Amino acid sequence: MNPSLKLALITLIALEVSFVQVWTVNVVLIVVSLLLMLINRVPWRRLLLLTIVPLFFASALVWSLMLRGDASTHFLIVIFTRMFVYVYMGGWFTLTTKPLWLTRSLEQNAKLPSKFAYGFLAAFNLMPKIQAEVSTVRAAALMRGEVLHVWSPRLYFKVILAAMNWSDQLAAAMTSHGFVEGAPRTHSLTVPLVARDWWLFGGSLVLAQVGLFIGLP
Amino acid sequence: MKRWHIRDIILVTIIAIFMGVIFWAIGPVYTILAAALAPFGLQPLANELLLGIWVMAGPLAGFVIRIPGAATLGELLGAVVEMFLGGIWGASTLISGVLQGFGSELGFIFTGYKRYGWFTLAMSTLTTTIVTFAWDLIRNGYAAYHLPFLLLLFCVRLLSVFVFGGVLTKLINNLLVRAHVLKD
Amino acid sequence: MATVTVQSLTYTYPKQDQPVLNHLSGTFPAGKFSLLTGVSGGGKSTLLKLIAGLLPNADDAITFDGHPLSSVAPTQRAATVAMLFQEPSTQFTMDTVQNELRFALENQQVPVEQIAQRSATALAFVGISDLKFRKLMQLSGGEQQKVALAIIVAMNSDVILLDEPFASIDPPTRLVLLEKLVALCTDHGKTIVLADHDLSGYQQWVDHLAVLADGQLNLLSAAETQQRFAAFTPQRLRLSHVQLPTDQLTTCLHGTQLGLAHGDRQLLTPQDLSFYAHRTTLITGPNGSGKSTLFKALVRLGHYQGHIAYRDTDIKKLRKRHYARQVGLMFQSATAQFLNVTVAEELALSQKYGNSTYFTPERVQSLLRELNLDGRDDQVLYSLSSGQQKKLQLLCMLMMTPEVLLLDEPLKGLDYASIQTVMTILTTVQRELNLTLILISHQLSGLDGLVDLHLQLADQHLTYQGVSA
Repeated sequence: MNPSLKLALITLIALEVSFVQVWTVNVVLIVVSLLLMLINRVPWRRLLLLTIVPLFFASALVWSLMLRGDASTHFLIVIFTRMFVYVYMGGWFTLTTKPLWLTRSLEQNAKLPSKFAYGFLAAFNLMPKIQAEVSTVRAAALMRGEVLHVWSPRLYFKVILAAMNWSDQLAAAMTSHGFVEGAPRTHSLTVPLVARDWWLFGGSLVLAQVGLFIGLP
Repeated sequence: MKRWHIRDIILVTIIAIFMGVIFWAIGPVYTILAAALAPFGLQPLANELLLGIWVMAGPLAGFVIRIPGAATLGELLGAVVEMFLGGIWGASTLISGVLQGFGSELGFIFTGYKRYGWFTLAMSTLTTTIVTFAWDLIRNGYAAYHLPFLLLLFCVRLLSVFVFGGVLTKLINNLLVRAHVLKD
Repeated sequence: MATVTVQSLTYTYPKQDQPVLNHLSGTFPAGKFSLLTGVSGGGKSTLLKLIAGLLPNADDAITFDGHPLSSVAPTQRAATVAMLFQEPSTQFTMDTVQNELRFALENQQVPVEQIAQRSATALAFVGISDLKFRKLMQLSGGEQQKVALAIIVAMNSDVILLDEPFASIDPPTRLVLLEKLVALCTDHGKTIVLADHDLSGYQQWVDHLAVLADGQLNLLSAAETQQRFAAFTPQRLRLSHVQLPTDQLTTCLHGTQLGLAHGDRQLLTPQDLSFYAHRTTLITGPNGSGKSTLFKALVRLGHYQGHIAYRDTDIKKLRKRHYARQVGLMFQSATAQFLNVTVAEELALSQKYGNSTYFTPERVQSLLRELNLDGRDDQVLYSLSSGQQKKLQLLCMLMMTPEVLLLDEPLKGLDYASIQTVMTILTTVQRELNLTLILISHQLSGLDGLVDLHLQLADQHLTYQGVSA
């Protein structure tokens, strides 16, 4: 399925189940997402993580609501299953979508300005450098007798200074590699957006509506 | 009004990733806190206590990159990073990201992107807390809580957002202003 | 072929009073390889960025065959001029080599069916076809610079600018790049301007020297260039009293089967290695061979194979806070060391936590005077010149007085007078406080009085040099 439409689909459905309380639809969505993940050969360790983490947080939330609130059993089941819907749908999406392919699709299909698409990509490459910079700043502080915590302004100050340098350098390098904001570009890889994508998108949305309509009291 | 240029887009993304790294670093603290509070039905308190760090990318980006939309974009990108790293909120992360970002953006909108001081931060703290809390009333069923507990959750969240999104952000801003990389 | 002409160019950075370049004029001839030289901080980078159109310059003082860059269609400007940067890792947008090539060619609106062919030809020209599918961030600095050159080749840029491209590049890669650059000049008529503050290793490769001094550019003729090269003698390392370590020395840091790697490239084959207390050890070796990586491993800032012990305790078992006060690193980049905003704040931090009473406020003041840094208390650290930053950084780390101080290029970017002062201070403080210093330096002159031991890194192995005592 086209990545942009897939993103729109899971966001719309996630938004909808946040407002509507139909636990049967939640369960169906969980089963469908699980099947989709299994078809796409999700590593079992990842599936385990995707199950244990929400299990803990959903249980803790439900327990908290039981102790500190007056929710009905129906409502608690909805809340409990809702969290699995989020995580499993998100799991299916990230498992089957490469960030680069998604960005290309957003640029080509969703008309996201190319400066955003390539600006994001350029910055994402720096992930390891950002992690290393945080370690370096903290080590430099330790050598001077200071411990920097997550609440120390100087930690952020130093990393933001580095970030400003990097963004200057990257922006210059992109210009040097011919990138011009707002200018037309060719695309050596085109992300297909065909009728089938729209049918899948529309069909899934309609099915979700039907389910929610039937399930409503 | 200033428009987005490639340098600003890269910078806001780096800040979002950086906040993701910070959040990832305190992940264990959050898990331990949540596990310790869970038996007493207080697990949401763990969320509230640390929420300020999670929403900090918004005001921080808003202060560093003084362009309309910076706070929203900073927070949304943070959410994208989190989702691809396998965060626990999955598909709803993006919705939360937009709402949290828009929450802090409202504070900047109220001051017309002209003032970058305590007033803007106080506004931003308030709007962030209200918008995100309204979202949790719906998404996490907070509406079902007894009123006193709900008030406690709200106050803790307000405090957390004020400390991280307000005080800490202002202190960072002060350093950047003194280093002449930002205007006062 | 394109001749780059600069006519009465003046440039002042925003928020600064003094122009970096002042009514500068000069020509870089078409199809020639020019070496732009001058002191660090003298404006070489600024000039290159202005030529590349990366800094706003409204008055069209720079022309390519008579046409300013602003008259070229924006998407075709990269075909006119492109730049290869000093820092290899922050010049890419995409994840893999292939995708970066696609990105650059798409920007130029190259028809899709030509992209693969042009990419392949460019990679083959630089000799890195095997890197095509590799992730850019997993490549070494040298490989990254080769990729950067391949992209410029693919874009077919007329003028190629290189800003200190070999600063962290191993010698074999440097040779390959120089050969390719010469080929681009002679066979493809490209105009090349390469900036470097050091003249060594260029004589046989370049056509012209362009000297940038005091905001003025002076292009030397081919004959003058050869004269200048002939008069230039590369620095030689002269260490007269270096000896091999003896049994009398105390080991302070010891590596057991210590190995270092960058990605899948082994920098140091696992070996046993000792560093000795109260001595000054100099580590030499080619660029990119792993010297800085070794320092990072010693302060627990990077991965390493084997074990490192400080006074017989594994450093991974020591508390980070404690260990950081014992073994300190003067980073190669001065700004990485600073934590505050002003000079006074930075000095106050070292004063507060320093291990020794030797650095009284009076002594610090007199040292500041010697280093020409006095009276700058309220100046913002980041507005100091790179030389001033370096000197302040050294003082701050000396004031901390760790048991072992690692110095990564402490003399980088300093002028001759500053080097003399810094060496005197280092030597005095080392003697009086009996410090352990381990240093990496490309600046080789003037080290003789300080250095006791010499470690050479060659063929992935560190060996002590010198005569037996």
